[in-house]
Amino acid sequence: MTANAPDHRHLLGGPVKQRILDEVRAYVKTATRMGRLVSIAIDGTTEVGVYIRNQARVAADIGIDFDQQFWDSGITQDTCKARIQEMNDDPDVLGVIIQRPLPPHINIRSLQSAIHPLKDVEGMNPASIGNIVYSDIALVPCTAAASIELIKATGLNLKGLEVVMIGHSEIVGRPAAMMLMAEGATVTVCHHMTRSVAMHSRRADVVLVAVGSPHLVGPDMIKPGAAVIDIGINQIKNADGTAKIVGDVDTDAVTEVAGWVTPVPGGVGPVTVAILMRNAVVAHQRQRQSGWL
Amino acid sequence: MPAHIIDGKAFAANVRAKITKKVADLKTSHGITPGLAVVLVGADPASQVYVRSKGKQTVEVGMNSYEHKLDADTPEDVLLALIDTLNADTSVHGILVQLPLPAHLDETLVINRIAPEKDVDGFHIANVGLLGTGQKSMVPCTPLGCLLMLRDYHGSLSGKNAVVVGRSNIVGKPMAQLLLNDSCTVTIAHSRTKDLAEVVGRADIVVAAVGRPEMVPGDWIKPGATVIDVGINRIETEDGKTKLVGDVHYDSCAAVAGAITPVPGGVGPMTIACLLANTVTACCRINNLAEAEDFLS
Repeated sequence: MTANAPDHRHLLGGPVKQRILDEVRAYVKTATRMGRLVSIAIDGTTEVGVYIRNQARVAADIGIDFDQQFWDSGITQDTCKARIQEMNDDPDVLGVIIQRPLPPHINIRSLQSAIHPLKDVEGMNPASIGNIVYSDIALVPCTAAASIELIKATGLNLKGLEVVMIGHSEIVGRPAAMMLMAEGATVTVCHHMTRSVAMHSRRADVVLVAVGSPHLVGPDMIKPGAAVIDIGINQIKNADGTAKIVGDVDTDAVTEVAGWVTPVPGGVGPVTVAILMRNAVVAHQRQRQSGWL
Repeated sequence: MPAHIIDGKAFAANVRAKITKKVADLKTSHGITPGLAVVLVGADPASQVYVRSKGKQTVEVGMNSYEHKLDADTPEDVLLALIDTLNADTSVHGILVQLPLPAHLDETLVINRIAPEKDVDGFHIANVGLLGTGQKSMVPCTPLGCLLMLRDYHGSLSGKNAVVVGRSNIVGKPMAQLLLNDSCTVTIAHSRTKDLAEVVGRADIVVAAVGRPEMVPGDWIKPGATVIDVGINRIETEDGKTKLVGDVHYDSCAAVAGAITPVPGGVGPMTIACLLANTVTACCRINNLAEAEDFLS
């Protein structure tokens, strides 16, 4: 193997992203009255800027209008809600994205609830989550859905599979667990109060981890041949003082045991933005079905 | 040592006593009487029994009960208009539409018409989502009853391995969410689960809610585990009579478990008690009163 050849045990996000975006592009070409995505950033930091530019680039690539709005950090919660309400009523707005983080005086949950469920392309409105709990998988939280797309890309059949989800955040862990259950998996959710995560994860056919702890998952926690989906994004310092991005999995060591490992970067991340665009398509379809367009 | 029997009947009586006290408090301190509206469409005999029982207990704890009985062929828009009226009625704090509805009515549409803050069954899609993300919501009554009994028996549930057998929208899924909120490590097992015996055998807490009589035998249970049996199934006995059994095989499970709920007399009595508790909770939230959540603990 040459030094640069991709490791076949690495489950790459790129091809999955491209496949989804191809489907989205084909839909957008024939769709009529497809409005724009509005991205709302308040008091944006540089990190958010990179993230938004990436979304804007992908949207431009597939032909969806992307409106980058940067609101002043002094804005009040009520003004935010009023503006979102206007977007709900505006047929030219296809979907609304709220970029995190927000300043401390803004309550994100309340803004997420203010977005109309049919424009909730991030899948964060309580009604969107409620639909997932009830196994109606339509507008889905992007990272959770991206993780499941990657599992499917292995060819594993989720029905009856033992899956361990490490991390129970409202954005990733919990919705992912409900979606996996809807797919027929037997799901165990572990978190910081779990007595022995390894005891659970070693039994699993698939392990997902989203806790934000570099190298938390080592080879001793993985059943040989299992699929490992690394959702963590952590910045650590190399010995020489430079920074690098790693996930929650000790990727090199786990690669020797697992059947598949998603790398960080290059695994879940690229698929996430593709899911956002697919959600835009689903939103368009549902808005049409509801007679809005 | 035989299992401790968790007496749901006594526990529910205790919960109702706390509710009675809270309702009296609300009256004297704020001049508010919590009100529960129950809507029954049609004349399903089982539903009639439930509705009567709910109304009776509502009045017994000092709350107002409003029963709305509609004909089986009531058109959907009439039912929706009634719900709109109840949503706007300030003397009504909880609205319950008795399920199942006649076939011509869309249950999802009807339930989601209820104002989420008055949805004392916790079935509105927004409440489901709020619970699913660990936020404040109205919580479905049966799993709430199970949780209260578990908390009472164990104190803290944090770090315990819990296995929920069954993934119904009414019990299994919300039960799993509640146990996660209490920091259990939660596994949801179901009909697709490959080795159910092995999965159940890991659990410190087993909640069985599958609707199959005596499906969980004692040799699946880890010695000392707590077994909560949500099932209510009527089966025929050898002498041709019938009896009620749960989803677990009681005698063999009781021989290994640390604690177990019987059927009947376990989870069942708690369900209506939790409906009443939810009505009080809804009443406090709607009136911006100090959160009453802890009135049960």
